[in-house]
Amino acid sequence: MSSAKTVSVLFLTVALSLICSGPANAGVADGRRVFEAKKCGSCHQSVGPAAEKTIKDQLAKKGPELWYAGSKFRPGFLEGWLANPKPIRPLQYNSVTKKNDGGHARLNTAEATDVAAYLMSLTSNEVRPSNIQPGDNPRGKRVFITKVACYGCHELNSRGKVVGGLSGPSLVGASRRLNVDWVFAYLTNPQVFKPVKDMPNYVGIIDKKEMADLAAYVTGLE
Amino acid sequence: MKRYVMYIAVLAAVLAALPAEGRAATAEENYQFYCAQCHGTGGRGDGPNAVESQPVSPRDHTSAVAMNKLTDEDIINAIEGGGAATSKSVLMPPFGKTLTKAEVVELKDYLRKLCKCKGK
Repeated sequence: MSSAKTVSVLFLTVALSLICSGPANAGVADGRRVFEAKKCGSCHQSVGPAAEKTIKDQLAKKGPELWYAGSKFRPGFLEGWLANPKPIRPLQYNSVTKKNDGGHARLNTAEATDVAAYLMSLTSNEVRPSNIQPGDNPRGKRVFITKVACYGCHELNSRGKVVGGLSGPSLVGASRRLNVDWVFAYLTNPQVFKPVKDMPNYVGIIDKKEMADLAAYVTGLE
Repeated sequence: MKRYVMYIAVLAAVLAALPAEGRAATAEENYQFYCAQCHGTGGRGDGPNAVESQPVSPRDHTSAVAMNKLTDEDIINAIEGGGAATSKSVLMPPFGKTLTKAEVVELKDYLRKLCKCKGK
């Protein structure tokens, strides 16, 4: 290849990469600006690692931590939710008595897109590709229903009817919300994400294979 | 003997002065954080997870009649191993990998205070 051709190819490559990555990076930066301007950080932790050590530390938090949001949520979920937020938790965060009536700040479409881009850039190295396939996993369903009874605290859609407990985040529509790799990492290594949580630690109670099946089932829930 | 008592008093004062994060959770804190989800903040079995669709209701920890049927060991086993370990509903989850043995025993004592009973 002549030097002129090499320079042309290099120029085109750089130009294309700028065109492709420019808007995405701008979205992240703009999203961070919106996140800070709207003081989202007053309720949501956006920088890890988890620092809480006691129940009091956890109860002092006003909203779910987002420092691993990019690992936790499925692409596309946050944009829609931020523009039209509907309660995921039946109860207010950290409460076992107060109903969650919604009221989360609603963003316009552009803001929602940018903030989602920013949040999806916040990832955890502890969440790795697992090759677990979300779906109606019968073994995972058995763990969910008969072994550890996750429905005791989490709502799910069963034959068109929402059933289950109210203290945990609802799992209705989890297939559109949660990344299967994060659910698996959360089950196998919970202290990284939530060192103090009201959900029991299941490490040593169900094995990794069962956790993989459970993660598949949970992230297949409609 | 006097010196021994003084050491104990100083140790107690130091422990009381420690910030919360330097101490283990109290039984009350653990109960309100973990157990109240199903058993309710007052222990009457009326927590937010006690919804109609559940196949069984959480135990009423204030019921001396029900709680008197359990030994202290039964209660400790239920907290650590959940319903599956005690031939009860799996809706009672296992907290053996979440709480320390000391915390479980303190929770058992807390339940005895709620039911005002000593058990079998």
